[in-house]
Amino acid sequence: MPNGASSGPSGIITRSYKPGSIIYFEGDKSDYIFILKSGKIVLTSIKLDTGEEVKEEVRQGEFFGVKSSLGKYPREETAQTVGNTTVLVLMPADFERLVLKNSSVVRKMLRVFSNQLRRIVKMERLVLGESEIVNPDAELFKIGEYYYKAGIWQHAQHVYKRYMEYYPDGVHAAMAMKRIRAIDSGEAMPDDDEAGAQRADHDATGAEGDTDDNTSGADMLDFDDSVMIDESSSDQGGGRTALSDEMDDFFSDEPSVGTGGGGLEVRSADGSVFELDSSAEDSMSRGNFITALELYKKILTTDMNLNQEEKKIIGKAHFNAGRCLMELKKPAEALDFFSKILRNFPSSPYLKNAIFNIGIIFESANQKEKAITYYNKVLNMPPKDKLNSDALTKIKNLQGK
Amino acid sequence: MLMGLDEKFFEKFGIEYAPNEIIFCEFEPGNEFYFIQSGRIRLVKLIQNREKNLTVLTEGDIFGEMAILEEQPRSATAIAMDHVKLLKFHRDNFDALISGNPQLAYKLLVIFSKRIYDAKRRLMILLLEEPQLKVMDVLVMLAEQDPHLDMQNEVSLQVTAQDVARWAGITEDDAQKELTHLSRLDKIELFGDRIVVKKIREFQRLVSSRRKSMYQ
Repeated sequence: MPNGASSGPSGIITRSYKPGSIIYFEGDKSDYIFILKSGKIVLTSIKLDTGEEVKEEVRQGEFFGVKSSLGKYPREETAQTVGNTTVLVLMPADFERLVLKNSSVVRKMLRVFSNQLRRIVKMERLVLGESEIVNPDAELFKIGEYYYKAGIWQHAQHVYKRYMEYYPDGVHAAMAMKRIRAIDSGEAMPDDDEAGAQRADHDATGAEGDTDDNTSGADMLDFDDSVMIDESSSDQGGGRTALSDEMDDFFSDEPSVGTGGGGLEVRSADGSVFELDSSAEDSMSRGNFITALELYKKILTTDMNLNQEEKKIIGKAHFNAGRCLMELKKPAEALDFFSKILRNFPSSPYLKNAIFNIGIIFESANQKEKAITYYNKVLNMPPKDKLNSDALTKIKNLQGK
Repeated sequence: MLMGLDEKFFEKFGIEYAPNEIIFCEFEPGNEFYFIQSGRIRLVKLIQNREKNLTVLTEGDIFGEMAILEEQPRSATAIAMDHVKLLKFHRDNFDALISGNPQLAYKLLVIFSKRIYDAKRRLMILLLEEPQLKVMDVLVMLAEQDPHLDMQNEVSLQVTAQDVARWAGITEDDAQKELTHLSRLDKIELFGDRIVVKKIREFQRLVSSRRKSMYQ
């Protein structure tokens, strides 16, 4: 700590400084909060938008260093004394005790902080070009639509009712009412005609720029998994077997599962695929592959009508289930999921990664030729990214062996 | 916990929610802020037509506090996770409320301190001109936020291209492009759910020197 102040977790101490001393620098990290007792202090900071230097004088009896201490972030200004100066140094706990006894101080500070925050948030909106939310009513309605189409009736109902409360004459009022009645009567369907009509509406007004997944990926690849097997099956004979069957020979003695663990904490309040997906993602990021796999399997057994969003999720669920299985040392099962992506979701954004992983599985099974075939596929798939270069490295390594 | 909150206080401001009930919804007008007495709530936001969890709040936390500052629609949806007991305060009662409850005022002071910094930090990113720098600075910011990270070493950040795009105020495609570029230069490694930065200090230095030269 600067100046070697000897303070325990609590206990206010007094420090004296000569003129021109620095109490703290911009960027310093420290918990201390100061009160100017006597003398003069100037705070120097840089204005965010213009880079100008701003100098501000602290008056006697005023606090400084409060925000960065309470918010636990680096100092945003440099504090320098001008004449001989004495300050009181407080730990946050001292500060809390002090201000709680004097609520007018807190109130005053709160007002200052509120104004600062308001200014910054305004500036942020300005920079982002979103100074106003143009149609809060349309946006609110969209939230209702999201829950409606996801089949989360309770939430949809709630949002539509709020909508009617705030915008009884709004553009979407009639539709909101219709939805409320449909949910009340239990006739709501996530993808009924109305919903379709609604989407068409949106498209017509250009509010949504959905494109069809199927068109974008179709020309990207000209093979399916059976073709791939044919290409590479000279050493195997009979190219019609499923990839996973083929692999069974290599992984007949699967090691027992010992990774992840932590029990099944499958929580899905309403069971929507989106919620399942985000829980699964969560589990995966925590290394809990058993739970994640369970959740992804649940997604894959959920009845869906496959709109754009859900198609994406299914592709992802296949892919991540495969990854979980690889982590769990079940490559044959993993292969099954990856190959389903090739077969059923050739336009999935996970396609390339799935093929790469198939390469890995073959490689670890010492099926060099096949591994190279799959890596080669990756090599030629747009967009050129890390996977492409990884594939190249893999091929070089394999050919070098 | 709040001091001096007795039964009467709860009678006046208390409100309860059942599990999974919406407390307020993104884009609806917001005039109240909430103090959690018991239970958990989650804040979610629809991003590219997907529900994204922002955070989970528990006993003693405050949410919806931006309503104190401005009349703007809610920026997120708050959903009860279990049986939740809240205190609900209207903006108009704010002054009276904090005069009588310095503890609440202090809590808000701490929250606003953090918010001010976060907002400023975000603004610093947004004010950078090149998307490449913005992306780097997002990674620097995220690394700074995690006190457990050793900035001298390789750092692993739980973040997706989508998150980076949102922080940097650029499109997801642009974010992906920049990230891919950085990974090709071997500065970062991309995974589905995280990004590993090899030398975060290098990014930090680069961004700060660019920021300085921006004004000259």
